[in-house]
Amino acid sequence: MKFRQLMGLLLALAMFAGACSSGSDAAETPSDDGTASDDGGAEEPSSDDEAAPAATGLDIDAILSADLDNCAAEPTGESIKVGMVMDFSEAAGFVDVPGSEVVPYVAQLANCAGGINGRPVEVDVRESGDDPALATQELIDWGAQFFIGPPFADATLPMQQTGGGEYAIFAAASTEPTLADAANNTFLVTFDDNGQSIASADFALSQGLTRAIIFTEGEGVPYSGVNPDAFKAAFTAGGGEIVSEQTYTWFVDTDFSSQVNEIASVADGTEVFFSAGAGFQITALRAQMEGQGLDGITYMGTDAFDATGITADPGGEGFIHTPHTLIESGSQLESVLADSGTLASDAPAFMPLYIDSMFLGIQGILDCGCNDPAGIAEAVKVISDFEGTSGSITYAGTNGIPPKAVSIVQVTDGANVLLDTIG
Amino acid sequence: MSELLQNLIDGLGRGSIYALLALGVAVVFGIMHLLNFAHGELITIPGYLTYWAFNNGWNWWTVVPLIVVSAVITSLIIERVAFSRVRGASDFTLLLTSFGVHFIVSAGFLLYVSASVKPYPRPTWFAKTLAVGSLNIEVFDLVVIAVTVVVLAGTTWLLQRTMFGLALRAAAADFDAARLMGVKSDSVIRGAFALSGFLAGIAGVFWIMREGQVTPTAGINPMLQGVLAALIGGLGSLRGAVLGGLALGLAEVLLRSWLPVGIQNLTTGFVFVMIALLFIFRPGGLLSVPQVERV
Repeated sequence: MKFRQLMGLLLALAMFAGACSSGSDAAETPSDDGTASDDGGAEEPSSDDEAAPAATGLDIDAILSADLDNCAAEPTGESIKVGMVMDFSEAAGFVDVPGSEVVPYVAQLANCAGGINGRPVEVDVRESGDDPALATQELIDWGAQFFIGPPFADATLPMQQTGGGEYAIFAAASTEPTLADAANNTFLVTFDDNGQSIASADFALSQGLTRAIIFTEGEGVPYSGVNPDAFKAAFTAGGGEIVSEQTYTWFVDTDFSSQVNEIASVADGTEVFFSAGAGFQITALRAQMEGQGLDGITYMGTDAFDATGITADPGGEGFIHTPHTLIESGSQLESVLADSGTLASDAPAFMPLYIDSMFLGIQGILDCGCNDPAGIAEAVKVISDFEGTSGSITYAGTNGIPPKAVSIVQVTDGANVLLDTIG
Repeated sequence: MSELLQNLIDGLGRGSIYALLALGVAVVFGIMHLLNFAHGELITIPGYLTYWAFNNGWNWWTVVPLIVVSAVITSLIIERVAFSRVRGASDFTLLLTSFGVHFIVSAGFLLYVSASVKPYPRPTWFAKTLAVGSLNIEVFDLVVIAVTVVVLAGTTWLLQRTMFGLALRAAAADFDAARLMGVKSDSVIRGAFALSGFLAGIAGVFWIMREGQVTPTAGINPMLQGVLAALIGGLGSLRGAVLGGLALGLAEVLLRSWLPVGIQNLTTGFVFVMIALLFIFRPGGLLSVPQVERV
């Protein structure tokens, strides 16, 4: 009986701790009412300091360099309301959890810099959970003017439907080409799968690599198949040859004995290997390949390497991949990420995409000179040469996929080293 | 011929891990009629301990016992905290409880550790191969097979030659009758969970070595393979569990090798088709055990 009571007490304490933790998360996102401006972002300038001058328009440099201890006069205009529907599950939590922290932090910086033309920026974060439509509706009721959403269609499509296709939705961390849909105001913030894989193929060919081994989950399979499809098409079109094409189960398989046996019969060690596999899968594969004596192969992958911590994986040394942002040491961006606590997160290179999502929505508001979501979305569609923290972004003339340059990097001594920039 | 031999060794290596997992599932099922869907947590939790250990300067020599011991302790804790509360309840309640344990552990790691992959180094020898004629045999497979043989021999001795084994087998055959004959239910159930944890720990050592990373749901795949192998072998049959594990491992590797290019990614689907066919002709699995209906 005592044990039962003890367990009951422990369970209650665990639930209480969980509730407290949730509360803490909510507090990190702006404030009790979800506004970034109330959570220290628009701190009153200290009496000893003279208020910093307010920025005008969308001055990203001024915002990122704002000093929270010496803010401009508090913005008093009508709020710009940013809705974030975030997926905190294992599927997308590695990016959406820190993403939901960095955006409210940058909103604080924007407010500290005097807001956007004197208008404060408010951010409200809702977890998509099992019902992204409900989270979206709650944010619409709150007054959100545009959305930042998770990287997968299972959340983005209900968001589109709930907003009647009138709200601009930025799928911040997504590279899924079918997710972008300018007609329904859904936008990627980075290159898509085709962009990164074609860039990888071009790079491989430019290095004189003309024989390739492909790992795919099947033709047309989102991400795990689409990336190899695009690489294969570009590689063969450029004169390369696919010497072996193998299948695997994405994010599951780590024993590739059968595949390695087949590869060993056709490969000579001069090939480039390409897949969209997770880092831990391809490090296992490489070990098995090298165990068979195939030592000279060049291993290339997608942003999945970055998403699965390839630089921290001891087996990932030498891998070549396509991260979303190169965060330069000592840069302003690095400082912002560090101060927001997201530089040490699981996927810091994705954070600029979240920051840019907010800035792109704000740019839409400034361009249309309006506050209605449909008008903002229309303005976003024709954004051109927007210089964000993750690079130059253009939506004009696209279906919502910005034709961004792709950085090709190699893991060297546990860090990404830039090899080339394609596009 | 050499390709077949190569695949047989690969399949036996993979199947040996499945066999150990299935045996752990079968031991508990035999005693409690519990199909333990929380069995994978006996790999998830040691997996996170492995990640922690490597970040604190441990090496595989010290991590291996950590994995085994933590799996045993985790198994005993899960029994004490969750399953002892519902002992004697319906099979369905037990099943739901095991799901609950799985989701609580996963959510705990998701909330309080991270949603993302946590990598650690694999042992340097794990992909080394031995050239035997035209075969390239992975040392890892040989070690897995050898350890599995030793563990299975030890388990057989434990079950056949000790009082604990006798009590366990008696309880598996008829729990109520065993109790009437003086078998202490608490002891035998905890012993079963400890044995299940030990077997999962040994399997976990190899599983964790090969994975090289851990996530909150790292236990799902080994749990599914273990449960599936136990079902193939015949739930409650210890020999069947071993047979089921080996059959599953061989089926995966051989099908992957034999299926034509273009449909190789349907290997898992074909494995399930084979399992479905097996259950049509032998609903109780390869070595079905007569079930005593509890009233």
